[in-house]
Amino acid sequence: MITSTKNHTKKRQRIVLVGIPASPGYAMGHCHTISNREVTVVEETLPNDRLAQEEQLFLKAVNNTIKELAQIKQITVNRLGIDEGRIFDAHLMILKDPTLVNGILDQIKKENKNAQWAVHTQITQLISTFESHKSALMRDRAMDLKDLYHRLMGALDDSGPVIIGDEIGNGVILVAHELNPSTLISLKKNQVIAFATDSGGRTSHVSILARSMEIPAVSGLRNVSAMIQPEDNIIVDGTGGMIIINPNEEDIRKFEEKLEVFKRQQRELFTMRQLEPMTRDGKYITLHANIELTSEADKVLDYGASGIGLYRSEFLFFRKGLPSFEEQLEAYQYVLNALAPNSVTIRTLDAGGDKLVADISISNEANPFMGWRSIRVCLDQEDLFKEQLKALLSANTQGNLRILLPMISSMQELRRSKAHIETCRRELEAQGIFSPKVELGIMIEVPAAVMLVDKLAKEVDFFSIGTNDLIQFTLAVDRTNELISSMFQPHHPAVLNLIHKTVMAAHREGIPVAVCGEMSSDPMSTLLLVGLGVDELSMTPWSIMECKKIIRSINYEDVRETAQNVLKMDDTESVNAYLKKKYSQTITDLGISSFISAQDLDDGDSNSSLISSLNEN
Amino acid sequence: MIVKTLYVTNKLGVHARPAGMIVDITGQTKSDVTIIHDGQKANAKSILNVMMLAIPPGSEVQFEIDGQDEEDVMMQLERLFHDNFHEESY
Repeated sequence: MITSTKNHTKKRQRIVLVGIPASPGYAMGHCHTISNREVTVVEETLPNDRLAQEEQLFLKAVNNTIKELAQIKQITVNRLGIDEGRIFDAHLMILKDPTLVNGILDQIKKENKNAQWAVHTQITQLISTFESHKSALMRDRAMDLKDLYHRLMGALDDSGPVIIGDEIGNGVILVAHELNPSTLISLKKNQVIAFATDSGGRTSHVSILARSMEIPAVSGLRNVSAMIQPEDNIIVDGTGGMIIINPNEEDIRKFEEKLEVFKRQQRELFTMRQLEPMTRDGKYITLHANIELTSEADKVLDYGASGIGLYRSEFLFFRKGLPSFEEQLEAYQYVLNALAPNSVTIRTLDAGGDKLVADISISNEANPFMGWRSIRVCLDQEDLFKEQLKALLSANTQGNLRILLPMISSMQELRRSKAHIETCRRELEAQGIFSPKVELGIMIEVPAAVMLVDKLAKEVDFFSIGTNDLIQFTLAVDRTNELISSMFQPHHPAVLNLIHKTVMAAHREGIPVAVCGEMSSDPMSTLLLVGLGVDELSMTPWSIMECKKIIRSINYEDVRETAQNVLKMDDTESVNAYLKKKYSQTITDLGISSFISAQDLDDGDSNSSLISSLNEN
Repeated sequence: MIVKTLYVTNKLGVHARPAGMIVDITGQTKSDVTIIHDGQKANAKSILNVMMLAIPPGSEVQFEIDGQDEEDVMMQLERLFHDNFHEESY
């Protein structure tokens, strides 16, 4: 819905402000400015007989705030996953801090001050100490204290915390100096269509939360909250990182165009979601999503995936400090329940190489990609491995789990892993925990595994080809080395023949083959992989729709023939030239457009390297 | 009472998260725990106090613990410091 600009009696000035694109999308509407409640604090000196009452008032406010934060934390966990929920742990710990609590109580009991004044003086003093701190890490914590200040003041005031109420109406753009995560989380759906703030960066918690909530946002606008007047009309361009206050007709026209494109992409996404990924001659290809964070699980089905083909469990281990059994269980359960009855493939810890885990990895290996990594680490650190396996088995209450073992290079590694799984299952059963059967698969990413693929196929339920490592090891090319980066060729005949061999062996044993590397989201490679007989493709969620488009436009018999021809070729150039000649027009005609703008590709999140390398292909 | 010097060997020093981990330990005990850095003394049961010491990587801190389980608390703290608060080392 587009709100038209009304002519006000006094024409307001048009102002364009450029900030940081915090969350993509476009919105136009009237703004609601929230001042972080300039509370008027009154200093009172109380008679002695009022002190006990005042003390109780303060303690009750603390308790209510703790309860409220725990509740908001739970909402955050449910909506955005457990990682985002951790934001509130620091808040809770500070609220229980004896220095803070006793300082405030002393001021009440010994100096006869009212609770509001005591809270105000103690916390504002702390805020200024933290804000002037030389360490940026400490300065960031001032935000937590401010959030607490407003919450405590609200609780004392009895008018509730700084939460946006129903009074602002629906469809407004929220403008503020800064937004606390807890304020943002308390918003109701449709109430706010965008937000603009003076402070905050792209990697701040608020930006991350806004992206998860799919609200366009621009931050780092310096003094927007002071410039804006009530009832001003503004345009928020969260994709470009810009806002226009009181836009002119030309601005509005451009905005409407951009919004139209954005909406069309979303509609397309929605309609594609209902369509089957089936070739014109009826061959069904399973499309799955790769995810790294539990919160991504909520969106996977919306993007048109029919399950998760790769949940990289190592991301649980990147946060410094090993996750406990309970934390792992919670994360796996969350993802499995979000997708049930669709299947979820969880890869066991794949640490090492370029993915160092603080507590486990050793960083001084001469050759980390061929070093102590992945399944090798797990088989050496049995306790760690068994803890993860037990968490996985216990989480599988719905029976939709598939376990994927990375970097298998010998039969012995597979057999030892299977023995561990069996031991874990028996130990759990002894504790009364019974889990449904779990499908077990291995990554095919080391050439040795392809040479043994006939035998491996008899021992597992599925294969998943990790194209990055398979290409790297087959061609002996370190893709991160710029001198030889052009030698990293997904369509190298050696690579294609290894994939072919894997598919043949798997199909002889009646098990499916998935490809979960980046190769599966390149249009030409998609055609080739389907032609080679790959059953499942797993990729970043936003590539799924495009992939579906390609699959629906081709004939399986045609791409199968193409693949057979390609397998006879002896160099990459011929393969690429042949594919280009045969399919570049088809791909152009499909008008494949990415949902992700260039701005998003620069995002400081964990996917950025993946996306940029995708673009190189 | 026991006193011991520990070394901060993680990359980022004692910022919010390590401070929280220290308080996770000291908050469990009835013993008095004091943390001393650069001549400044602070109550090690307060996350704010510990954070405000802003202990940089590579520095030493002293713990004074007084109480029945002082040995045990010190041992837990030693282990935490030794493990670099589960972070990268300095």
